[in-house]
Amino acid sequence: MSDDPPPSTEATPRRTPRAAGKAVPIFSLGRVATIAASTVTQLVRMKTFYFLLAFALVVVAVGNFNIPATPAKELSMIKKVAFGTMDIFAWLFAIVATALLIPKDVEDRTLYTILSKPVRRVEYLLGKLCGVLGVIAVSLVAMYAICALVIYSRESLFVSAEYEAMVASAQYTAAEIEEQLSLIQQQGLRAELGIAVLASFFKAAVVAAVTIFLSTFASSSLFTIIVSILLFLIGHAHHMASSFWLHESENNMAVQMLVKVIKILIPNYQLFSFSEGIVQGEAVVAALVWQMGGLTAGYLVVFLLLSLLVFVDKEF
Amino acid sequence: MSDNAVEVKNLTKVFRPGLKKEYVVAVDNLSFEVRAGEVYGLIGPNGSGKSTTMKVVLGLMAANKGSAKVFGLDSGDIRARNEIGFLPENPYFYKHLSGAETLRFYGKLCGMKGRALQDRIAELLQLVELEGAANRRLGGYSKGMLQRIGLAQSLIQNPRLVILDEPTAGVDPVGSRQIRDLILRLRDEGYTVFLCSHLLEQVQEVCDRVGILFEGRMRREGTLDELIAIENQTSMTIENASPELIAEIQNLVRSHEGTRLVEEGHSRTSLESLFIQIAERGREGKS
Ligand SMILES: Nc1ncnc2c1ncn2[C@@H]1O[C@H](COP(=O)(O)OP(=O)(O)O)[C@@H](O)[C@H]1O
Ligand SMILES: [Mg+2]
Repeated sequence: MSDDPPPSTEATPRRTPRAAGKAVPIFSLGRVATIAASTVTQLVRMKTFYFLLAFALVVVAVGNFNIPATPAKELSMIKKVAFGTMDIFAWLFAIVATALLIPKDVEDRTLYTILSKPVRRVEYLLGKLCGVLGVIAVSLVAMYAICALVIYSRESLFVSAEYEAMVASAQYTAAEIEEQLSLIQQQGLRAELGIAVLASFFKAAVVAAVTIFLSTFASSSLFTIIVSILLFLIGHAHHMASSFWLHESENNMAVQMLVKVIKILIPNYQLFSFSEGIVQGEAVVAALVWQMGGLTAGYLVVFLLLSLLVFVDKEF
Repeated sequence: MSDNAVEVKNLTKVFRPGLKKEYVVAVDNLSFEVRAGEVYGLIGPNGSGKSTTMKVVLGLMAANKGSAKVFGLDSGDIRARNEIGFLPENPYFYKHLSGAETLRFYGKLCGMKGRALQDRIAELLQLVELEGAANRRLGGYSKGMLQRIGLAQSLIQNPRLVILDEPTAGVDPVGSRQIRDLILRLRDEGYTVFLCSHLLEQVQEVCDRVGILFEGRMRREGTLDELIAIENQTSMTIENASPELIAEIQNLVRSHEGTRLVEEGHSRTSLESLFIQIAERGREGKS
């Protein structure tokens, strides 16, 4: 066979190839929303919201304990349990959901199919974050509604019972009765409680951003979860930890710098703890709320940028 | 503009697994092109660098050296990805979504919506014969169905190029026949198809041109006719391999060879033997 055929003129049949597609936007909030919505669907179909049923049961049960305590104390206890549970749910869910979902996409190669569509990596990360936070927001609002209902019904029950009792005994002046009732209302349903819920949400947002950052380079979900929880705990002793280290290394500039960097990289979760005071009926300090909002936004930006730095060049 | 859907030039990709010094050259100075409108098959044994090449073309990985272009655009360019449909090796999609929801998700990622998306989903479900399972969750899909919904997913935004990594791996013969027919249909509709496989039979049935990859290097490339024509001369390997085969061939000669059935069976084995031969030559060259 010396006469080689001329390569491929007839061998490759000339069909009419398809025309080019439409142009795609460089960045699209629509794609972020699509990924967020799919994350919400995924979490919902993992039966996340069943947790709300359990929560409702606990709060109603606590509300109906007949504890021998003053009405104000009882209301305070319901709030402590309910808001404590809400807070734990928010941050723990932020860690676990984020740490499970992204590595799962990598492992199942679902990420290949997503990233081979015209989707930017930043859009993927933002979408995942928004999806997890969306579920947390909806859960918190639902839990808040459940607990507001319980608190309100107990509060009005206590107030009317107390009022009747005091009037019946005929020993108190109107002003005394008023004062006693306001003591109960102090522990009842107040608009400020919403700020405590907001604080839990903001804390969860920071926790989720930190976890996303960890899961961009960690190789296992378990590692991500453990390190996130560790950082969470350290972040609660932020002041103590950093003052200890800064004190120990007074003379060494390099170590001081390092400590400062670490101080920025470990979010200060103590920022959010003023909400415990709100739950206990203390007044809201507006400055603290603004500070919390600003720092939450700052942490989100920093950790998303750091995640992107790792994720943009990551190979799968 | 060039006529090529994919252009890979001097592509080299090296992996350093773990923190060790040793490294794996997955793709070694590889160059080839896929012309617009053709079905191009990359074949090679497991670990020869097929998936790696595809991932570089898609921009999921960066090359250490060389370049990959899709319709003249750098791989990784978001505009390039809009022209590509990709079906990865052994893909898993979200199990909690139904077939139709899966297609809707990927369609939305490509910026499609409303009526147009709805129609496209219906069209694709019909194409891959999954209308009946459209509302079932993927958790209950068989391997062949998953592969077909994956193919539909890759086509959702009407791309010009479809990249299929081992489209029939792990699928039963009936299923892989279905997928083969689908690929032929895509070809007739003007899609450029770039697929890879270690299953020669299928590559042989659908590809216009074939490249044989071994240990990251292109060993042979050409149209099937060209490759098999060369192969006819070296069909001696079969004779050497086993005495029974020789006896059989002698029998065939005696009984006037040339019946249609025999030709088909013969040519099928021949691409395979070429493949094995190249693999063996490669191994000898190394040791
Ligand atoms: N992410 C990775 N890290 C390290 N080595 C890899 C990675 N991906 C592939 N390899 C190696 O590169 C080589 C080629 O792999 P691959 O492209 O998957 O081959 P094929 O798809 O042809 O089976 C193999 O030796 C494989 O072990
Ligand atoms: Mg492979």
